[in-house]
Amino acid sequence: MNQTNFVHESYAQRIWRRFRAEPFARNGLWTILVLFAVAALAPFLANSHAIIRVADGRVTFPIFPSLEPIEWRFLLYVPLAGLAWLFRRRLFARPLGGATFLLALVILIEVWLVFHHVVNDPTNDRDRPAAFKLMPLVPFSPVETASEPFLPPSWTHPCGTDSTGRDIAARMLHGARTSLSIGFVAQSIALSIGVTLGSLAGYYRSWPDIAICRLIEIMDCFPPLLLILVAVSLFESQNNMFYIMAVIGLTTWTGMARLVRGEFLRLSGLPFTLAAQAIGAGDLRVIVRHILPNALGPILVAGTFGVASTILLESSLSFLGFGMQAPTPSWGDILGESRLYIDFAWWLAFFPGLAILITIMSYNFVGEGLRDAVDPRLRIK
Amino acid sequence: MTTYLIRRILLLVPTLLGITLLTFLLVREAPGNIALMKGAGGENGSRAMTAEQREAMIKLYGLDKDPFTAYAEWIGRLTRLDLGDSWVDHRSVVAKIGERIGLTASLAGSALLISYLVAIPLGVIAAIKRGQVTDRAISFTVFVLYSIPSFAAALLLILLVAGGDYLNLLPMYGTNSINASEMGRFEWLWDRIQHMILPVICLTYGSLSYISRYARVSMLEALAQDFIRTARAKGLPERLVILHHALRNALIPIITIFALELPVLISGAVIIEEIFSLPGMGQLMFASLEARDNPTIMGITVFVSILTLLGYLLADILYVVVDPRIRYE
Amino acid sequence: MALLHVENLGIHFGPPEDPVRAVDGISFEMAAGETMALVGESGSGKSVTALALTRLLASPPARYVSGRIEFEGRDVLRLPERELRALRGSGIAYVFQEPSSSLNPVFTIGYQIREAIDLHRPEIRDVTGEIVRALDTVGIREPEKRLNDYPHQLSGGMQQRVMIAMALACRPRLLVADEPTTALDVTIQKQIMDLLKALKQQSNMAILLITHNFGLVADFADRVLVMFQGRIVESGPTAEVLRNPQHLYTRALIECVPKLGQKQRRLKVIDYAGIN
Repeated sequence: MNQTNFVHESYAQRIWRRFRAEPFARNGLWTILVLFAVAALAPFLANSHAIIRVADGRVTFPIFPSLEPIEWRFLLYVPLAGLAWLFRRRLFARPLGGATFLLALVILIEVWLVFHHVVNDPTNDRDRPAAFKLMPLVPFSPVETASEPFLPPSWTHPCGTDSTGRDIAARMLHGARTSLSIGFVAQSIALSIGVTLGSLAGYYRSWPDIAICRLIEIMDCFPPLLLILVAVSLFESQNNMFYIMAVIGLTTWTGMARLVRGEFLRLSGLPFTLAAQAIGAGDLRVIVRHILPNALGPILVAGTFGVASTILLESSLSFLGFGMQAPTPSWGDILGESRLYIDFAWWLAFFPGLAILITIMSYNFVGEGLRDAVDPRLRIK
Repeated sequence: MTTYLIRRILLLVPTLLGITLLTFLLVREAPGNIALMKGAGGENGSRAMTAEQREAMIKLYGLDKDPFTAYAEWIGRLTRLDLGDSWVDHRSVVAKIGERIGLTASLAGSALLISYLVAIPLGVIAAIKRGQVTDRAISFTVFVLYSIPSFAAALLLILLVAGGDYLNLLPMYGTNSINASEMGRFEWLWDRIQHMILPVICLTYGSLSYISRYARVSMLEALAQDFIRTARAKGLPERLVILHHALRNALIPIITIFALELPVLISGAVIIEEIFSLPGMGQLMFASLEARDNPTIMGITVFVSILTLLGYLLADILYVVVDPRIRYE
Repeated sequence: MALLHVENLGIHFGPPEDPVRAVDGISFEMAAGETMALVGESGSGKSVTALALTRLLASPPARYVSGRIEFEGRDVLRLPERELRALRGSGIAYVFQEPSSSLNPVFTIGYQIREAIDLHRPEIRDVTGEIVRALDTVGIREPEKRLNDYPHQLSGGMQQRVMIAMALACRPRLLVADEPTTALDVTIQKQIMDLLKALKQQSNMAILLITHNFGLVADFADRVLVMFQGRIVESGPTAEVLRNPQHLYTRALIECVPKLGQKQRRLKVIDYAGIN
């Protein structure tokens, strides 16, 4: 028999080990990471400008001046978050110091972005002669009329072109940003509301619980898409990405609130909570330091499934034409545009549909894997 | 049971008030209204109002009164089923909903029915064959179906089987063919069924996959219970042990989740009716949103949410009926 | 001929290369009408043995690796599914430990007993009368009214009586009572054991009582088997085993029973190192 070594393993490490053992969940996580990388690097993957251009003895990087603030944000914040995670031990050795440092960086970037001037250069580098040029993988911008309309997929246009001759591949790569970030941010909003209200209801019980439960019931009576459509169309702020995120977040928090309330009801009766209260810990401390960490697993699981359904909601909105009216489309927009031409231009619907499917499926796989890892009793094997 | 029913129905009152108040404030306080009140049109001309329309709107939302007086008056009219008149064609909103509800109800109803009829056997089979190839195949298929957006599925199905470049088996749009009025009764019915196949499929598979996943877990839980061993120890054939003893227990939670599917199905109907040009309530909602027909928007929202609330009530009552352990006296 | 004959029965769980030997080659016999007790702690393999008698133990995960079980001359382990089902309930019937979860919550108790009768005694015309008689036998008052009760409407003791009635309804030749009183209150425990004793005297049904409690065995079983780690470590007439236990483990188990009139500060703890 093998000698079993008992090595200390934290809760997070145990979940991570079980999670990695699930091939679907693991691949789902990788897919999501790749999608985020694609979103962050979209301007470098699909652009009419060259990444590096050497002409007239000068080396230029034509892409950078044309980057929009949102593109800069993705480009800077995604690696920043990664680095912060990698160096979290050193960074948060003194928690306040680390947070201040990160906050200062964010403020610095935002201030710079306010004064940053975007150069809008309608020309492209594809046909412009140069001694050396490195073009992006897809040498088209998502907004330019690149070729004939309705070209089926080919080597030049791997996903074809749309009704005005724009390259679908370029539009999809850039669309990843909208779809992914709305899903993530809107679900974070829903999560914050749900966790806050759910913990208040579950911890204090009595009248806060009654009030919050009524509110949940009221919200649950509205079909989510209907409520969002009403809110978006009446307040007509469709140009504002954050407004759409907020509306989705404000209408989809109930599931999380129910879950957190249930966890708090269960956990706040357990001895460790009483022990914390007995040594005089304040309510906020008991909620945040003692109960919440014990509920993190289920919250994480529900949050992951939530991102999937949020992405679905956003793409439904965009599909119906109620999403953002931004120049760069989300996947739902591309699908929506394809409706009129569906009887012959299959590629208009197929590729964005596939992208949405893969994204949602990856999130669902990760959610499923996390659930099994958090609660092995439910393991379906 | 009667006391429970009365208590449960009384509990609906605060929720009903909440639903109506939320809808009322949402529509009344929309920035568009304020702009319209000042007499200024929106950026497009169609949104400028006639004096008569403005008069009607002030009356409808009590824009000249404080919100709560206005709400109280609006509720008063609501109890008399007066939701105001549409801005588009000046017909009563109740009548407009009335002529649309049938189609949406039959769409959602058949979707729900088919979901249950297919999902429960799938879930049961997966649970019995737990961990085997059959289970894995069913679970994976259902998982993928669950992740396909209905509108993408609708478009691809139209492309593949409804007059696209490939097969031309089914009609693409509408509830009936153009020459439907000349058809005999059975021909007409067959024509209608053909038109409904694709919309119902698109509306069904999402709920179907959700319910079958739920059914599988519920069935697994039931099969792990002690009374299953008792049933086997009695000498009951395995078919009866599973289909009678286990399924009967597993069905209780499965049946009662139908209420949770109602809002989902209505959300789906908005998209599906729009894609297939079906004149149901979803399409009416969509058209009203585009035309900023506020009375109709508000009417539909209130109507649908009350319907959902009644669905939850029905689910609660059903739970008491099907589970002998729960008796509210 | 013995009613039940178990020979070198081995049941394993887990991977074949490193199995858990839940039952490790046990042999015993029971005569018709005999009362026997199978005693041992949790995990000693006694419940696994009990379930194996009608192959109620699902395989997989369990593996019947060796031996044979003969009931009335038929080899249970090789019986076709159909005959096995006929054996279950009418040949060997069970009463389980947890009456509240062993009864199906969504069917009335009358229906659950009726199922057993319909299955094994189709010749009976007045099934309802038979159910009433069965409930009456196990001491349930006003059985006509209780017929349509659901299990949750009864107390734990009543539920266990229903389980016993259900087991007896098919007139089994062997009743396996698997820890029938463990989940019940002490006073109810006594009532159930008294009921089993009364039933034993009324019929010539054999009873196999499975328990971890030597206290129940003394005035109930004719013979006793002691199981430890999948093996039978001691067997014999009850009085003899109790008076003069041979195996250290048996001695330890007997000492675990608190005795009247003895001052004992703590319950004995079994010293496994001494046994092995």
